[in-house]
Amino acid sequence: MSQLSTLSDAELVQRCRAGNTDAWNELVERFSRYVYSVCTRGYRLSEEDAEDVFQEVFTRVFTHLDTLRNEAALRPWIAQLTRRLCLDSIAKRGREHATEEPMAEELAADLAEIDEAFTVREALATLSDTCQEMLDRFFARDQSYRTISAELELPSGTIASRIARCLSKLRTELEGRKEGPGGSRG
Amino acid sequence: METEDYLDLRIDDFLDRLTESGRAPGGGSAAALAVAFAAGLVAMVARCSRDSWDDAAGVAAQSLAIKERAAQLARTDADAWQVASAALRDAGTDGDADVRNLELEQKLGRAAAVPLEIAELGADAAALAALVGEYCDGAYRADAAAAAALASGGASAAAHLVQVNLTVQEGDERLKRARASEQAAAESAKRTLASTG
Repeated sequence: MSQLSTLSDAELVQRCRAGNTDAWNELVERFSRYVYSVCTRGYRLSEEDAEDVFQEVFTRVFTHLDTLRNEAALRPWIAQLTRRLCLDSIAKRGREHATEEPMAEELAADLAEIDEAFTVREALATLSDTCQEMLDRFFARDQSYRTISAELELPSGTIASRIARCLSKLRTELEGRKEGPGGSRG
Repeated sequence: METEDYLDLRIDDFLDRLTESGRAPGGGSAAALAVAFAAGLVAMVARCSRDSWDDAAGVAAQSLAIKERAAQLARTDADAWQVASAALRDAGTDGDADVRNLELEQKLGRAAAVPLEIAELGADAAALAALVGEYCDGAYRADAAAAAALASGGASAAAHLVQVNLTVQEGDERLKRARASEQAAAESAKRTLASTG
């Protein structure tokens, strides 16, 4: 994990504004999957259109970052920008030939799901490496306690309790994020 | 070849299917559901102990994950069993013998992989049952013990299905894992049952 990846969004914005190239790379890395998911899963854009929107989103972020008033509200700002550009793309494409546009309710549900997934991902990134590793192994890779214990060299009888404590930390982090943008890091 | 989704059936309909001769579901599906029942009970006990136990929510979340995986395996096992049964029935009918044998081995191997997964989930469900049995609200301790016994039974049944698979021989890594899971589940159950009197 790079040092920049542990920065909050607000800190990252400050470094980008100061002209730090590595910070820009981190910003793109942090939000690229989010933007791409909104384009393809939310608005069902084709790969080609999604790539065009993706380029345009980050070009505008680069050129308009100084206009962002609340540095901690980077994600909502990028989300709004992406949604607007997706709608422009659909409108443009619609003039050329009909496309399958998602229904409003379905779109709202998909966007909420994408937002939630990225919020969890961000919160996960604030946990210790061991916690991230255990949660990923148990919930994403469906590994047994025995396998986790063997591969992480931890006593097998403690895995379930450790995972429970990691989940508790994750919940605290997520609740902190609900109270206001920009959770703690580290 | 696909079986129906047992999770869409009423319990009595599932039990009726279980009694029908010569077709899925069989022992593997029943073992998977025993583990799913156990994990469901653990989740219930953990949720009822939230006020007195800090780790309760995290344990409930893990139990729910195990319940989902085990329930899905009820159908996966039936599918794998049907494919393996058909392959055994049709063995030696046409085509190249080496290719046929390889295909048969792969299908039978798949039929052993699913109960192995069920046995491992059984061990994990039993471990969680032991944990909730230790820290839960006393009113629910008997449910934790019931969950541990069910999980151990499921793990034991699944381990046996691994053992009798035609591709599995003594010393096979899959059999070692299945037996380790069976033993771990049995120890968790014994501990939990003893602690509840």
